[in-house]
Amino acid sequence: MQRLVRIKAIIKKEFRQISRDIGTLGTLVILPLALLVLFGYAISLDVKEIRVAVWDLDGTDLSREYQRGFFNSSYFTFQSVIRSSQDRDEALAEGMALAVLTIPPGFARAIDRGETATVQFLVDASNSTTASTAIGYLNGADLAFSLAHARGHAVAPKIDLRPRVVFNQELKSVNSLIPGLIVLILTLAAVVSTALTLVREKEHGTREQLSVSPITPLELVIGKTLPYLMVALVSTTLILSASWLFFGVTVKGSLVLLYLTTILFLFASLGIGILISSIVSTQQAAFMISAILTVLPTFILTGFVFPIRNMPPIIQVISAVLPARYYLAILRTIILKGAGISSIYREILVLSGFAVLMLGLGTFRVSRTRS
Amino acid sequence: MKSEPAISVQAVEKHFGAFHAVDGVSFSVEKGMVFGLLGANGAGKSTLIRILCGILTPTRGSARVAGFDVNTQTEEVKRTIGYMSQRFSLYEDISVIENIRFFGGMYGLAGASLREAEERVLSLAELAGEENRITGELSGGWRQRLALGCAILHKPSVVFLDEPTGGIDPVARRRFWEIINGLAAEGSTILVTTHYMDEAEFCNSIVLMHAGKIVAQGSPADLKREYMAGPVFEVECDDAPLAIRTLSGLGWVADVSMFGAFLHVNLVEHSDKSLLSAALAAPGIGVHRVEQIRPSLEDVFLHLIEKR
Amino acid sequence: MWNRIITLIRKEFQQIRRDRRMRVMVLVAPVLQIILLGYAANMDVFQVPLGVYDLDHGTQSRELVDQFLNSGYFVLAAQARSFDDLDRFFMDGTTEVNLAIPRNFSRDIDSGKGASLQLSADGAVSSSATIALSYASTIVASYGSSGRAGATAPEIRAWYNPELKTRLFMVPGVLALLLMMFTLIFTSLSVVKEKEMGTIEQLIVTPLKSTELIIGKLIPFVLVSLVMAVLVIIAATLVFGIFPRGSIVLLLLLCLVFILSTLGLGLFVSTIAANQQQAMFFSIFFFMFPMTILSGFVFPIENMPAWIQPITYLLPLRYFFVIVRGIYLKGDGMRQLWPQVLALLAIGITVISVSMLRFKKRLD
Repeated sequence: MQRLVRIKAIIKKEFRQISRDIGTLGTLVILPLALLVLFGYAISLDVKEIRVAVWDLDGTDLSREYQRGFFNSSYFTFQSVIRSSQDRDEALAEGMALAVLTIPPGFARAIDRGETATVQFLVDASNSTTASTAIGYLNGADLAFSLAHARGHAVAPKIDLRPRVVFNQELKSVNSLIPGLIVLILTLAAVVSTALTLVREKEHGTREQLSVSPITPLELVIGKTLPYLMVALVSTTLILSASWLFFGVTVKGSLVLLYLTTILFLFASLGIGILISSIVSTQQAAFMISAILTVLPTFILTGFVFPIRNMPPIIQVISAVLPARYYLAILRTIILKGAGISSIYREILVLSGFAVLMLGLGTFRVSRTRS
Repeated sequence: MKSEPAISVQAVEKHFGAFHAVDGVSFSVEKGMVFGLLGANGAGKSTLIRILCGILTPTRGSARVAGFDVNTQTEEVKRTIGYMSQRFSLYEDISVIENIRFFGGMYGLAGASLREAEERVLSLAELAGEENRITGELSGGWRQRLALGCAILHKPSVVFLDEPTGGIDPVARRRFWEIINGLAAEGSTILVTTHYMDEAEFCNSIVLMHAGKIVAQGSPADLKREYMAGPVFEVECDDAPLAIRTLSGLGWVADVSMFGAFLHVNLVEHSDKSLLSAALAAPGIGVHRVEQIRPSLEDVFLHLIEKR
Repeated sequence: MWNRIITLIRKEFQQIRRDRRMRVMVLVAPVLQIILLGYAANMDVFQVPLGVYDLDHGTQSRELVDQFLNSGYFVLAAQARSFDDLDRFFMDGTTEVNLAIPRNFSRDIDSGKGASLQLSADGAVSSSATIALSYASTIVASYGSSGRAGATAPEIRAWYNPELKTRLFMVPGVLALLLMMFTLIFTSLSVVKEKEMGTIEQLIVTPLKSTELIIGKLIPFVLVSLVMAVLVIIAATLVFGIFPRGSIVLLLLLCLVFILSTLGLGLFVSTIAANQQQAMFFSIFFFMFPMTILSGFVFPIENMPAWIQPITYLLPLRYFFVIVRGIYLKGDGMRQLWPQVLALLAIGITVISVSMLRFKKRLD
């Protein structure tokens, strides 16, 4: 009974401190929302309106028809006419065009004779992702013209290909990126705020006051993390609602499962925050370390943007140590695929392990520093 | 032809929103004096000092320090004054000598003049030999002396010390005041704030502040004479609250207040001890001791504050 | 005046020298990060897990699957025995691309009748799956028309990055990111720390002028940042073999220009923040985070909606990405980069001036 009273006292105090601390409140509630909306609109890996410059050395009706085959599609836009190799080089160097199409002289004649005309594409591959996609489209557009105008050969057996993208019919990259954004924002909020709260006590000396009181480390940890958990859940709800409102992202799977796994993830993150706070002594350090440990790794190593399969083994090991990675997989599966526990039980197990481990370690360290 | 006072304050006010930290303060300090600004915490002393140093702008009023207006000639003021803030504000992560050299550089000391200042300050702060100690490792008294030293590197004509003896032991405090008097003897004007009333006795002239206003002004002796005309007795008795109630209403009692476990009773001029003993005996209070004491500035202060 | 600035710079270095954490942040952390991120930031289409449901089991179907596997883009992750299997592969994340080959595929191809194939990609994982899908489509298309020449044959050359490695694009980007993070955060903290520790009071009571204070505080960070930049450039060269195609001197010079603008931002933050926590909050959430996402590090600016584009023009990082990638990949020089340099200078000068104006030697 005493335990509950003490825990409740800590919880109440934390809430009071949170509500007065604009910074924490902002981090946990307002900012995530603002970031979600801003980035949701901004981030897109779709490749559209590829700017193509054309150097038409043939100048025939057929060459112009060839060009039309590209610019009629929504993938390409016509950038400019190239008249010399210098033009061409500059267009690419200055980034005016993503690709330069060079139609050689004798293009139409070769095709009329039933030969194959070679067409050159120079693609600015600095951004290899964009370039890869662009190359795919270029190939496709060329193939369409190529097959349609093939003369004097047996037409290739038609393979009717029906490619589809599952779970993301509109092919909007934003759909797959929203869960990642949620993870990023929640991770940041959870880790940073808990790291700060405990360190703040250390800095202001109230930690000493607390350590002479009868409260146990476990109660302290529970009492301090629960308020942030609740605020973070509110945050999550706001983010999900905003995602639906602005981006039409609906949760295909079970909401209950979503919240349960979110709680699990938050426990793990909050635990990490506590661990950090037990190691460092200034708010500055706590903030720095928690921010650096969360922002970049979450962005890069969790599969948010870069596929984990591409990473060298050592890095994959590091990725395996991030709770956010598993939570992201869970979120994508629940939100976008509508799957159930059977698909994500492994991730859930790992997250639970993390939560227990982090909170345990944190509690342990808190008790260590007190004695 | 009287020369301009080292410090002159005219109707200075400082408002923070609706709160008047300094509420119409005027006084002046002659050159070479040790001037005390007394008052409890929150009376407005630090705010006033910061205004005089040019790092806070007064809402109303004006002030001149060392012949310059603090508002319009702030940079000139800063060049000629030394300031020691209430909170320790030297760099704790560098060494003693590095701090000294840093502030020396800030005041334009270099080469021989810097070295001379270093030696002077090190000996004044009694830190010779500890130059390479990290400042954060110094204990209370040493830190304060170092801070004082850094404030006077450039031999300023006016020195502002904000609670310089806060939190250090009485022996160290006494040593500190020896240093201050030494500086005054060399011709500097010193303005010190403190809430230790006993330190006020060391000043040539003091001003008592309360809630942003001046409640008393003058030399310590003057003040005591003025506000404590009658005798002051220290009373040790049972049931102090009853004693206070009994004495408070009487016409010949100017003031009665608790002092620790005892009472200090300030009688009106020409009153007699016997009146006091009789008044206490009447309700049957057991009296152990009634002794006449010399009034301290603390008595003066309490008397003045409680009057309000 | 220079005396005071030099005294201030000396003090800053004395503090930096003793700050072990700063040493780690400057020397160790960035190098580790560039190595880590250089390896991890990889969107190449490589070893994409493929799921195959082969109802045909004929020569043609086997050849088709071989084409997929030999392309180097795909690895066979699982064989399905039903359509439900395929669905489950996606659900569980076992595969990213699924290929379903119908019965009689080989027979229909051989007889010239034509056949249909089902190709699907898991759009939930990341856009890499959709890129993989377009590669898969190309493989199928070239399989279908193999041996028969079409009217045109495209010769595609990838300039600046012939092997289409994401890393070439990302590593210079990470250099820019690290530089920004460090300069922004540490500058904002430096002045605010003085505010918090109280040393600012002792500082502003001295004859030190505001401009001298700002210069004295910025110069140490400029120098330290340059050291960091050099370290990161060396690390990128040694570990990944990625070094600038253009002039390194120009690169460092432009790093300097960039640093000035981020230092200015950090300074600006320090004039609004009252303590270190606030300073970090502002730096990270209002500047670092948005800049990372909106400046074109990973997500192309061209894709952003019209109302966001103007915002990106205010971000120094946007211009610096173009500069760094331009010098590294294209060997760009001032001739190509002068618009970006101009923009950076403009931003830097503006921000530093504003901060100087805001910084008054008063406590209120």
